[in-house]
Amino acid sequence: MIIERSTEWKEGFIERLENREAWDNWTLYTMSYDVVKMNLITDFQGLQSPKYLPTLTPLAHQLEVAETVIERMNGKAILADEVGLGKTIEAGLILKEYLIRGLVKKALILVPASLTNQWIEELNQKFHIPAMQYRKNYDLNHCTIVVMSIDMAKRSPHKEKIYEQDYDLIIIDEAHKLKNHKTKNYEFVQNLKKKFCLLLTATPIQNNVFELFYLISLLKPGHLGNYESFQASFSASKHDVEQEEYLKELVNQVMVRNRRQDTGIEWTNRHVEIIPIDFTKEEKEVYDMISELPTVSPVFSDAFSMITLQREMCSSKEATCLTLTNMREKCIKPEDSSYIDEIIHKAMALEINSKAEKAYEIVSRANGKVIIFTEYRASQTYLQWYLHSKGITSVLFNGKLNKNKREWMKQLFKEKAQVLIATESGSEGINLQFCYHVINYDLPWNPMKLEQRIGRVHRLGQENDVHIYNLAIQNTIEDHILDLLYVKIGVFEKVVGELDDILSAFKKTI
Amino acid sequence: MYPQQIHSYLQQFFKENNCQILNENDHFINVQLTIEMDKRIMNRPFYWKYQESTGAEPNPAQLTFITDTNKLDDDIKGEVIHFGSPRLSQLFQATNEMGSFVQMYEQVADNLGTKTILTPWLGVNYKITYFSDQTKEVLYSLGMNLMTGTLLEGFQESLSEMDLGVTRPENTFNLPYTIKPIRALERLDGVIENSIQQEDHKWAEEAKMRWQKDRNVLEYFYEGVEDRPECYEIEKEAMDQQYEARIKIEIINGGLFYLI
Repeated sequence: MIIERSTEWKEGFIERLENREAWDNWTLYTMSYDVVKMNLITDFQGLQSPKYLPTLTPLAHQLEVAETVIERMNGKAILADEVGLGKTIEAGLILKEYLIRGLVKKALILVPASLTNQWIEELNQKFHIPAMQYRKNYDLNHCTIVVMSIDMAKRSPHKEKIYEQDYDLIIIDEAHKLKNHKTKNYEFVQNLKKKFCLLLTATPIQNNVFELFYLISLLKPGHLGNYESFQASFSASKHDVEQEEYLKELVNQVMVRNRRQDTGIEWTNRHVEIIPIDFTKEEKEVYDMISELPTVSPVFSDAFSMITLQREMCSSKEATCLTLTNMREKCIKPEDSSYIDEIIHKAMALEINSKAEKAYEIVSRANGKVIIFTEYRASQTYLQWYLHSKGITSVLFNGKLNKNKREWMKQLFKEKAQVLIATESGSEGINLQFCYHVINYDLPWNPMKLEQRIGRVHRLGQENDVHIYNLAIQNTIEDHILDLLYVKIGVFEKVVGELDDILSAFKKTI
Repeated sequence: MYPQQIHSYLQQFFKENNCQILNENDHFINVQLTIEMDKRIMNRPFYWKYQESTGAEPNPAQLTFITDTNKLDDDIKGEVIHFGSPRLSQLFQATNEMGSFVQMYEQVADNLGTKTILTPWLGVNYKITYFSDQTKEVLYSLGMNLMTGTLLEGFQESLSEMDLGVTRPENTFNLPYTIKPIRALERLDGVIENSIQQEDHKWAEEAKMRWQKDRNVLEYFYEGVEDRPECYEIEKEAMDQQYEARIKIEIINGGLFYLI
């Protein structure tokens, strides 16, 4: 057993015995003893942090998570509560507990750049943890609790500087960004010393079950075996696993997940529906011409660009024509360019966008604010113009906005506009509880993006039932996307646990 | 710590440090810091350096602390202070720094001119912290009679019932100690270490089991891998640090006591 002791007091005592320094005040002496006695941590178990945070009232499930992670998971865990249940609070409680207990002296918090300020504010204001934002040329030796964007951290020279430090706790927010083990992000975190480590994500599986394998292998290599044994034990393929009960058991040893309904809080309901839409004859004609592309010429045989075009056509002609114009520039043979020209011509002649009309119908029926999510900037602009022509005001939101602009747009939406039109990149970290209608104008491939989108409004503080409308054009690529979304949700539920409704109230069985 | 306890803590702390309380109610306190206290808690060394080098009139800060926001009705502006707030931790720290070493005499009433003999004691307050991936702390207050070597536990608690002062009362005399204070300190350190040795260290065994379990998992991951990558070593090192059982012995404060 290692016993640490310091001779500091003894030295001070000798100074007094030999009359080189004055003796101290008796009252302060007694006060000091009383303070130590009062703050004494008398038990290995239990949480000290709540009594240090009288202004914070954590919810029961948040306290439970903190306790479970510290006592049963030894401070290494994936915090996977559903969106909006306060994972930041849970992480804050754990960090605070370790700081109070003296087990963590230095901590590194890696987050997406857009969330750094939010983390710093929360840690400082709610937890009295003096977290600071890392900036270039900062000396990490002097930063005890530092918040950094992961994109910055993984680059030289920051990477090397971080590796030189001795962090006791690493927190990684939006950890699903580490799902791909071939990325620099993954490699960076893999080589980081992780004594205590928290990975935060509401969606530990985005597309396939291996993502969870890699995430857990980052946290605790070997917990699910190595890649070969994992694949063999669970007959794992991308979209399926066997022995899922056993796998779930293993996963739950390193992951805590609360669902809205287990929190004991009254949640408003979530009404989710798929709204099927039919193309007009003219729209269908353009769509079919796009689908024919690979048979027209070998230069168009790339399946990826055809799928992109099909999806864009399901969104707006503006999005489609942008891509078509780019394709046309690469055409060499005149017959190829003229086929593209023809599609562009036909597309531009379209007067009706069936999906936009449906969206408008929903907006005008909705009693309150509406968020529309689209995958394409061109559709975003088009929708704003289209809604404006119908007398509906809207604001745009995308990932390029800086923090101030984001706040400003949020304010405009709250006070002036009925509709917020957001692209995917805008959907992280903004909280819009004052709105309760969400239109998924385009469907993403990844079901967890839907969950993240819905999480913007269906979170603590929402007072109304939330309505989700998933628009899908029948007999197009969107049917296929829907099917795949169901499969992926199935895998998630098999391994991670139930999900709240995101596609429709009725689950398809896979 | 309830707001009221914090309030009286602040009152006492500033009073003991000669900081004048200018204005107060049961939920706030407005205090004039002394120069010494300003230097200790205001964290502005450059200001003081400048003051001293220019010889300007020193102007230590006035602070207002709000101890109970619920009772706040009047327009008082100030720092809200509660258990866990950084300011209070700072004051705790300052209290500890300024209350580490004492020399105290038990006060005796004049008893018909008879002289009272005071026996010297060394009192030391220890905090023991047990560390692995979890922690626990234990407080020991030990006293040693410097004449006889007698050991007393719960020393601080027994002192709290006595009337102590910094000067030796007129009608008393101290016995010269036969055990030197430093020697006594070493003996007390020994007592602490001994009692640690004799404890049941189940907690350390348990930490070792958790450590072993994690090690096995890691080994399984790299089974059959000849050249293990750097991250294997890093992971192993992290585990060692996470679970290693350690005990830290700290002295909170202590001093010489002359008691009847």
